[in-house]
Formats: sequence, C-alpha cells, structure tokens
Amino acid sequence: MPEVQPTRMELIKLRRRIRMAQRGHALLKMKRDGLIMEFRQLLEETKEAVNKMIQKYAEAQKKLAIAAAVDGTVAMRSIALASCQKPPEFVIMKKNIMGVVVPVIKRKPFKKKISERGYGILSTSVRIDEAVEAYEDVVDAVLEVAEMETTLRKLLEEIERTKRRVNALEYRVIPRMKEMAKFIAFKLEEMDRENIIRLKKLKGKKAKA
Amino acid sequence: MFSGTKTAYAYIVARTRVMKSRLLKPEDYKKMLNMSFDEIVRFLEETEYKKEIDAVAYKYTGPRLLDYALYANLAKTYRKIYQVSFGEVKDLIGEYFARWDLWNIINIIRGKMANVNPEIIEETLVPAGQFSEAELKSMLTKEMGEIVKSLEHTPYYNVLSKIGSIPMYKIEDELYKAYYSKLLKISAERIETKLFLNFIKMEIDIKNVKTLLRLKESGESTEEIIDCIIPGGYELTEDEIRKLASLSYEELLKSLEDYWFSKALEKFESLSEAEVNFDRLWIETIAKRASNYPLSILPVLQYIVLKKVEVDDLRILGWGKWFNFSNEEIEKQMVII
Repeated sequence: MPEVQPTRMELIKLRRRIRMAQRGHALLKMKRDGLIMEFRQLLEETKEAVNKMIQKYAEAQKKLAIAAAVDGTVAMRSIALASCQKPPEFVIMKKNIMGVVVPVIKRKPFKKKISERGYGILSTSVRIDEAVEAYEDVVDAVLEVAEMETTLRKLLEEIERTKRRVNALEYRVIPRMKEMAKFIAFKLEEMDRENIIRLKKLKGKKAKA
Repeated sequence: MFSGTKTAYAYIVARTRVMKSRLLKPEDYKKMLNMSFDEIVRFLEETEYKKEIDAVAYKYTGPRLLDYALYANLAKTYRKIYQVSFGEVKDLIGEYFARWDLWNIINIIRGKMANVNPEIIEETLVPAGQFSEAELKSMLTKEMGEIVKSLEHTPYYNVLSKIGSIPMYKIEDELYKAYYSKLLKISAERIETKLFLNFIKMEIDIKNVKTLLRLKESGESTEEIIDCIIPGGYELTEDEIRKLASLSYEELLKSLEDYWFSKALEKFESLSEAEVNFDRLWIETIAKRASNYPLSILPVLQYIVLKKVEVDDLRILGWGKWFNFSNEEIEKQMVII
C-alpha cells in the first residue's frame, strides 16, 4: 500500500477519483464497443471490396492476355511506351470516427476516354481498349481497398489502445483506488474507535477522581 | 530479263501464288487447336517458321518466342515479295509496305520520348518496310531531333516536326493519315492502279468504321471522332462519317446497314467480335476481287493480307494455349477457322 494520509479529506478525494475513473471506464468501454462495431461493418465492406478487386484483376489479366494474343507482345510493348505512366491523381483527406483520424482518398475515377489514354487510335485495336479499361478499373479498386485497409488498421490500433485502457482501469486502477479507500475508511474507523476508548478512559479517570 | 507491266504482274502473281500455297490450311488450325503450346511450336518447326523459331529460341521462351519468330517471318516474307517484284508493281507494294516504316518510326519515337533502353525499342521493330534493319538500328542511336531530320525526305516529316507541340497520340494518327493520303495520290488512270486504289479505299472504310464504332461506344464527341478518321474511303466519305458520328450508337449501327461491309455487323456481341467479323469480311472481299482480276495487284495484296492474318492467328493460338483459354475462346478471336 503506498504512502497515503488516512484523512477524511483524502477519502473524499479518493472516492471522487473512483467515481470519475468508473465513469471514464464506462465511456471507454462504450467507445471500444462502438469501434468494434464500426470495425466489423468496415471489415465486411473491405472483404467485399478486396474480392471485387481480385475479380477485376483476374478479368484484367485475361483481357491483357487476349490483347497480347491478338496484337502481340511487340504491339503491347509499343503501346506501353506510348501511354507512359501517368499516375492516378488523388487527394488524401481526413475523417474522424470516434476520435480516430482515418484517411479519405478523394479521387477522380481513373477511367479515361480513349482519346485521353495516350496511344493512337488508328494503330491499335479494341482489345487494347478493353485491356486498358480493365486495368483502369483495377487501379480504382486498389485505391478503394487502400483507403479501407488503412482505416481498418487505424481502427484496430485504436481498439487495442482503448482495450488496454479499459483493462487497466478495470483490473488495476479502480481496484487499487478502492483498496486505498477501504484502507483509509478502515484507518478512520480505527481512529474513531481509539478516540471513543480514549474518551471513555478519560471519563472513567475523572469519575474516580 | 523481264519487261512490261503485264509481265511484272504475271511474275509476281505467280510467285505469290506459290507462296500462298504454303500458307497454313484451315485444317492445320483445327489440328493445332487440339495441341498444347509446345506441340504447336513443334508443329510450326516443321513449316516455314522453323528458321525464325530456331533463331530466336536462344533468347526467348513461351509465347514471346512465338511472337518474335512470327514477326521475323512476316518481315522476311514481305521483304522477299518486295525484292522479287519489279516495275510498277514493286512501287505499289513498296508504298503499301511503308505502313511498317510508320510502325517502326512510331515505336522509336515513343521509346525515345519515354527514355526507354534502345534494346527494348529494338525488340518492337519489324523491318518489313522500306527502311532496312540497319537504318532502323542507326535511328535508335540518334537523338529525337536527328531522327526527325533524317526523315525529312519522307511524307511524314511535316507531321513529325510537330512533336512536342501536339500530343503523341495525335502525331501517330496524323502519320497514318499522311500514309494513306500518299497512297491515295497514286494516279488511278489505269485499271492496274485503280484496283490498287480501290483496295486502299476499302481498307480505309474498314479502318474508319472500326474507329467510328470504338470511339462512339467510348462516348467521344463528334469532333474527336472526325479527328481520327482517315479521309478518302470507298463508300464512307468524310461528310457521311460526320453525319454518322453525330448519331447515337444504336442509330449508327442501323445506319451502317447500307454499306458494303454491313454483313460484318449482322451478328456481334462485343466490339472485339465485330472487329473479327470485319477482318473475315475483308479477307472474303479481297479473295472475290482477286479472283475477278487474277493478273493484277489484288492477288499479291490478298497474299500479303492472308500472311498477316496467318501470323495473327498463330499468335492468338499460341497465347491462348499458353493462358489455358478454351478452344471456343481462341476460335472467337481467330479470323481463319
């Protein structure tokens, strides 16, 4: 038991702190439960988005294989040189979910018109368009999944942190404070009893005299 | 040894007829459809493609081996046709093959603009046109300005000199327009050249209708569509294309029913299927016209187109087998079956 002054004032303060800790504990528990609910909901959405992304990737790979088959590696290489790597444009904003700051990727759809893709129309076939379009879909899906996964990771970290706080309050801080309050109360009662006995003894001496 | 236009046509037609007899037959494709990728390569090693497959086998494997071998064989065949022809027909074939020069120039410029290693650019070259392999390789070592300057004597110089001021894809399309515009300047006074010109015009129709459908489906504006159209078609004039481009996609399909290529649009589920239909119709049309004019440039052009289709079909077959596509999927993409 740490050094503590067994005074009534200290007991009042301690009881106040216990009430506050209990209120904090209830709030943190609610936050934890809320975060878990949010996480579960987002997890389902992310699973769906990841599955869609995998599907889109498989589709894009097939379309690329068809384009390579019809137009040849030579043409594909040539077109890859033409549509030279313009990265997708996006801005990362912030959103607050129960005090957790998560990223929101504001992006324009990566899908472009044929005339914006950077390769000539007359030297390419529609299979190339189909393959490029399929990969543009994949880029959009990857960005969506990236946003969701980062949010999930941040939520998970916050859930862990909140869980640790709830546990610390529930199993360590509040019981210790309660123990201290009990100790002070016991000490105060003991002091009261001592005083009564002391008063009784004084009263007895006074009567004898 | 030989003289006169008729002799020149008779000679080259006889040569290409022999070459045509060596093309793979539809039953060969049927046989290959039931083979694995390795079996197809082994089968091709017993045909005209053996030399090219052996030549690139040390460097590539899988479908890329087939790809480069097929392009090498195509370039060799086209060069041979050009070399054995003479007189007017040689000039016409040379003009027709200039499309491969364009292909190579575009690839070199794209590569240079993207700072790609010259070795990688070299892999994309198909020396089947007027420029020899050595000339193309020497271009690879030059700077962009020098490359453009070295093409000063060609009809592409005016377009190439705009590099940097307009986007590259516009340059590419303009180059193809310059190529066709040069072909269309050939005098059509005599029946021999008139047949050639009509062939080119019909090819332009096919290219234009494919472009029209592609861009319309993608939602491009009428002006953007017109920008990509090659002037001088057989039935599709610029004015008609302008009218067609302003229609909705469904109306466009309906309006195309009155043209010579309408048969290709009778039944299709996707644009890629429509493209295959156009290619099939094109082969049928050339075959019909070539049999009507057996001693003209048409049988030669028919062989040139058939050889390209053969190479394309073999590539589709090879890649399709490599990626485990079903036979139906492969057949859907092939032109000769």
